[in-house]
Amino acid sequence: MSQRRLPWFEKYRPRSLKDVVNQEEVKKTMEDWIRRWLDGKERRALLLSGPPGTGKTTMVHALAHDYGLELYEMNASDVRTAARIREVVGKALNQGSLFGFRGKLVLFDEIDGINVKADQGGISEIVDIIKEAKVPIAMTANDPWDPKLRPLREACIVVQVKPLKNRDILEVLRRICSAERVKCDDDALKLIAESSMGDMRSAINDLQLVAETGPVTKDRVSLLSSRAHQYDMFKVVDMVLKANTVSSATAVTRLPSFDWESLMLWLTENAAVAYSSSVSALSDAYDNLSRADVLRGIMLSKQEWELMPYLLELMTAGVALVRNKPKLPFFIRGMRFPEKIRLLARTREVRETRDRVMHMLRTQLHESSSTIIRDYIPLVRILAQRDSKIINTLARALGVSEGSVKLIINPESAEGQGE
Amino acid sequence: MSELKELLWVERFRPVRLVDLVDQEGVKVGLLEFVRRGDLPHLLFYGPPGVGKTTAALALAREFYGESWRSNVLELNASDERGIDVIREKVKEFARTVATGPVPFKLVILDEADNMTSDAQQALRRIMEMYAASTRFILLANYISGIIEPVQSRCAIFRFNPLPREAVIERLRQIAKEVGIQASEDGLEAIWETTQGDLRKAINTMQAAATISKVIDKETVYKVVGRVEFKVIDEFLENALGGRFEDSRRAMRNIMYTYGISGVELLKYIQEELLINDRFKLPIDAKVEVSELIADIDNRLVFGSDEEIQLTALIAKLAAIGSKYGFKTTQEGGAKPSEKPTTRKGTRK
Repeated sequence: MSQRRLPWFEKYRPRSLKDVVNQEEVKKTMEDWIRRWLDGKERRALLLSGPPGTGKTTMVHALAHDYGLELYEMNASDVRTAARIREVVGKALNQGSLFGFRGKLVLFDEIDGINVKADQGGISEIVDIIKEAKVPIAMTANDPWDPKLRPLREACIVVQVKPLKNRDILEVLRRICSAERVKCDDDALKLIAESSMGDMRSAINDLQLVAETGPVTKDRVSLLSSRAHQYDMFKVVDMVLKANTVSSATAVTRLPSFDWESLMLWLTENAAVAYSSSVSALSDAYDNLSRADVLRGIMLSKQEWELMPYLLELMTAGVALVRNKPKLPFFIRGMRFPEKIRLLARTREVRETRDRVMHMLRTQLHESSSTIIRDYIPLVRILAQRDSKIINTLARALGVSEGSVKLIINPESAEGQGE
Repeated sequence: MSELKELLWVERFRPVRLVDLVDQEGVKVGLLEFVRRGDLPHLLFYGPPGVGKTTAALALAREFYGESWRSNVLELNASDERGIDVIREKVKEFARTVATGPVPFKLVILDEADNMTSDAQQALRRIMEMYAASTRFILLANYISGIIEPVQSRCAIFRFNPLPREAVIERLRQIAKEVGIQASEDGLEAIWETTQGDLRKAINTMQAAATISKVIDKETVYKVVGRVEFKVIDEFLENALGGRFEDSRRAMRNIMYTYGISGVELLKYIQEELLINDRFKLPIDAKVEVSELIADIDNRLVFGSDEEIQLTALIAKLAAIGSKYGFKTTQEGGAKPSEKPTTRKGTRK
């Protein structure tokens, strides 16, 4: 059971470079670099650059494993100040290795996540650290051409990690499927691989998401993972739901891609999925979402944008911090795209037809739509059950098709026919 | 037109002349006086549904314009027109041409005026003034308190009373005779019981009952009443109170997107089912909470911008109320309410 909780991309992360699919050039460069370091012939750091999910971090880990090196890892976007970086590197330099490691390797992960302004000269500090360092330092970055990384490039060997090929990703997905004993449509796996755009991690995450919530079919895959935005929203919703403090819940509002209107829809859809076991959590979460919606209404109609921070807090922290919040699993099962959007798209035709027929009925009966729906449609339904000619009569009286009349009288069956 | 009129008794037997209006004697006297004088102020008719407000307005139009009334009357419904701007445009367009015939003004009938926001009513007041030379407004409302003072003060106000039992039953008896069906006393009594003073509902109920049997008695009436109402509403409520959130949400979306019922309307149905029809036999404390909840959500709907969020919140709160008062459904595993149309069931034991 606990095994299931482990993210698959973690569980199946290659331990050794030889298990890393493709990327032969990168592997060779890395091995040459580390051998030169161990022979004392190299002083430069290594900068692996490439899009997310191409295995940069994995390969550094694998390198450390293959060469028996103790890995000191820090995520540059977590460790904000150069002083702190120096401290960690210092530790790596000064402490003797336990367990008989042959040496040490320092990894600065996501170096371009460092905030130049907040980190007070962060990059140039890192350049200095690299120059003084007596241990090999490897770094990863998504965009090597980021201007702020320019000083760094000169002190490093830059290796470009290319996006993985679809067939490489497909190969790994198949392996995972058979290891997990999950039955997967090959078409579904192909689609996951294609839509991952060379990002192994997101492909594996997608596979796990689909596999743990139902059968792995092409349809379910296209619903869950074909759009990058959608996938991002899953992560954002997940972050909000799992937050335990106001600050961690509101953190998502500072993401560069943050879209509060979409998030509101997504939370409305998925809070129920996550909290289904706790009535009071559900009730609190939706109460706060509804308050946020009220604020939104006032904000939009009166153009009072200063309400925005309260709205954002209510819709994130208000959903995350609820009474009797159930413990959430690593993957919240059943999370999904907001039905509302799908329904509005799917029922558009039905709604347009209904509006047209309603308009005719309103003018002829001198009644509002609501009165017609409430007081007349049920009667007409009964009349039509007894005598189906009624539908034809009504269609002629209103100047619309019989199908349109049927749709008004019996919306559910009419919709069923449409599908 | 005539086909629809044949089809629906409410239309077929809608009084054409003011004198034929059921009850509402005071109203008739006042309106006939306007007809005699050949002039009309702006009018405000208020009263419960199904007591003759629309019928009176249309009959009044006929008194003034005769058979050409259609070209001189603009019927609008505040809840269906999308906003005051649409209303303004339509009135403007309508008022541009002069009235045909001897009457110097045209008539705008605006139904459900009390559903308009006070901002919209302020705008309405200006529209009434702007076109005062060429048009008269008849505003229809359920509650006079929903109409802002400045609008009220520009209108002659007519109160429509709930129809008395005798008047409703007498009218039903006449209709039964004309269409050639037999209606027993207890049948008519049952129709009155289920529809109270709402003649529209009463006639619709009788017509529905007539599809089952040529003789309308108590049993046939109760048989159709269950069918006239929405099973989807019960399904929604039963699942909400029973804590089956997703099932309830599915029903809610079905109601909103497939049946086209608005959030505010749905609240009315809920109120009716839980508090008036007492469909789920909730204890009194639970009803108080439900009542507060509906009022609260209704209020939020006014300011909020997303019906689905508000109604989803309603489901979550109903679930909390249901769990607090130990609501249990009789169906195992939370099946849908029985498809049998005949039963009005109290689902809680």
